[in-house]
Amino acid sequence: MKTTISILAVLTGLISFGFAPNSESITVKGSDTMVILAQRWAENYMSKHPEVTIQVTGGGSGTGISALINGTTDICDASRPMKQSEREKLKQRFNTLGVEIKSARDGLAVYVQESNPVKELTLQQLKEIYTGKITNWKQVGGNDVKIILYSRENNSGTYVYFKDNVLGGEDYAASAQNMPGTAAVVNAVSKDKNGIGYGGAAYGKGIRFVKIKRDADSPAYEPTKESIMSGNYPISRFLYMYTRSKPTGALKEYIDWILSSEGQAIVSTVGYFPVK
Amino acid sequence: MKHFFALFAFFSTALFAQDSISVATKEDVENIKGAFEGLNESYLETKTTVDALKKIKISGYVQAQYQITDGIAGTVFNGGAAPAPGGFSGGAFPNDVGSRFSVRRGRIKFNYDNDLTQYVMQFDVTQGGLAIKDMYASIKEPYLKLATFTGGIFDRPFGFEISYSSSNRETPERSRLYQTIFPGERELGAKIELAPQSGILSMFNAKVGVFNGNNNNNNENDNNKDIIGRVGFQLPFNEENLEIDGGASFYSGKVTSGSRAIWKIDNGTKTWKHDSTAANNGSSFDRSYVGVDAQLYYDLPVLGGFSLRGEYITGTQPGTAASSSYYVYAKGSGTPLYSRKFSGYYVNYVQNIGLTEQIVVKYDHYTPNTDITSSNIGLGNLTTTGDIAYTTLGVGAVHHFDGNVKLTLYYEMISNEKVNSATTNAALLPFKEDVKDNVFTVRMQYKF
Repeated sequence: MKTTISILAVLTGLISFGFAPNSESITVKGSDTMVILAQRWAENYMSKHPEVTIQVTGGGSGTGISALINGTTDICDASRPMKQSEREKLKQRFNTLGVEIKSARDGLAVYVQESNPVKELTLQQLKEIYTGKITNWKQVGGNDVKIILYSRENNSGTYVYFKDNVLGGEDYAASAQNMPGTAAVVNAVSKDKNGIGYGGAAYGKGIRFVKIKRDADSPAYEPTKESIMSGNYPISRFLYMYTRSKPTGALKEYIDWILSSEGQAIVSTVGYFPVK
Repeated sequence: MKHFFALFAFFSTALFAQDSISVATKEDVENIKGAFEGLNESYLETKTTVDALKKIKISGYVQAQYQITDGIAGTVFNGGAAPAPGGFSGGAFPNDVGSRFSVRRGRIKFNYDNDLTQYVMQFDVTQGGLAIKDMYASIKEPYLKLATFTGGIFDRPFGFEISYSSSNRETPERSRLYQTIFPGERELGAKIELAPQSGILSMFNAKVGVFNGNNNNNNENDNNKDIIGRVGFQLPFNEENLEIDGGASFYSGKVTSGSRAIWKIDNGTKTWKHDSTAANNGSSFDRSYVGVDAQLYYDLPVLGGFSLRGEYITGTQPGTAASSSYYVYAKGSGTPLYSRKFSGYYVNYVQNIGLTEQIVVKYDHYTPNTDITSSNIGLGNLTTTGDIAYTTLGVGAVHHFDGNVKLTLYYEMISNEKVNSATTNAALLPFKEDVKDNVFTVRMQYKF
């Protein structure tokens, strides 16, 4: 009995040792697509709440979700929804389901250089280009030159979203060059007259958007506020924030502020679209 | 005129120089273009190689532990030889040993994941040697991605606790019930798993497999094949931070007897009786279970998430005289087959506290022979230690240092049911009381 009591006392001590209060520091990690937006949110919020420190880093949606599961971030930014397998890992480690917060909307833009004569593509053509079935611009009404594919790295939510929703789950062509961020894709396409890339509409500066059609008979749309908000633009998505548990304290106040009119106004200044 | 010639000479030289520069620049550009194309080709080759290598995932974990028990095997207890403690806490302590260091698990797993196909190989390396844990290939049908086919050595598709990885589990070991009826968790066989990807049906899943039914990775030694299956559901209530999961499982199998002696409990006299018909030797006998499991997850504000998990299993288990564990057929062994009706359950509560702490309480109960009560055991009815029921109450704490390292402290209070005090059976004498077999485990796990 003495042994039992001693052991229980040790266990209780260990538990008490680990129970520390939350600080006013918030870490945000994840989507590169969202990193500028997340930084703007953080800067604005910290200027009004100097007692709160917010650290924002990118790395990709997959990296952010791993950090949420490992307990190394408070908020995970993700440009795709969490997968079931990722939810299972969170459940096993923290016994929580994760809280999903839709924080903005985005149209996934397809870019070419200004000089490229191709103005529009169907979803099917886009799929065939990125899976390597269409390899020459001539096949989609352009010049007789090879198509150079620019893509993202596989820890990117944009990569996963594009693969799942445009490629129908098929693999990217082996010739696709994986760039470390959407800005890198835009930069590469702007310097390559035969290039094509995809990414957040917010990054679409210095290049031209290709209009996208659901099929050959549908109208073509650019990723504008109207076409994305109306659901007409075929490749639009939500941008998410995830927390392990229902947010409380400073974390809750920050997320409430992001969803307020003030926080959503920042969404528009960065080039994305508010959820409310 | 002089000026004119001077100017002509100057412009001629300038133009010639410009022309030379233009030719040199063009050559340089061509050279750079050639070098770039060479680099690009080399990049694409490297990328193909790297993409293939990225499909190979290597993971593993090691569990190093120290254990203390309050019972010493081989000493005299209640007039009999004290049984070895720790049999269900990582392995029986040897005679005269009350504490030990051990590597409970040392796993290394290789997984080649090609999205729709998967190849998995997992080994366990400990002080006991090298053992194969998993060795299977699986293929997902490419159209609806609804069905996955798996063949090889893998977890039996029954209940919850088998598939809950030892590296994630908050308690050091699975319940006594599972360790008894599913030793090693895995079997040689093939299974199909159905998991709808979207819509309301995505809340449900089903898996069923056919197995050798010869325990773990043993070679097949009879013509019986066992069928194991589970139908499961997941009901998330995201607004309430609540999820309820569960399932129902079955095991339908046959075991071949290596002896003509088949023992069963006579319910009238509560005595083991045997049937010695010669034809019994080589004949097949039932091994069948049914089970239900449920898991509840809820997020307590401020404190953290908790889970409450439980399972109940009942059925018929062919064992031996001294044990209700797996009867392994060997032709001509002459080992009598003891058929017992059993039942068991466990309830497990895990509470997360903040980011790094977890507390865990687990209660499990296993009755190997539901036809016998404790007061019947040892009354000249040929009952044995294999008929004694056990309960285990475990309490523990887990501290996660980071995403890789965790420390577990866990104390198991194990209670056996007390046999009839009038028994004179030497093997049963210690069980007139609760034998000393509590175990305290300190375990450090590194996972990558």
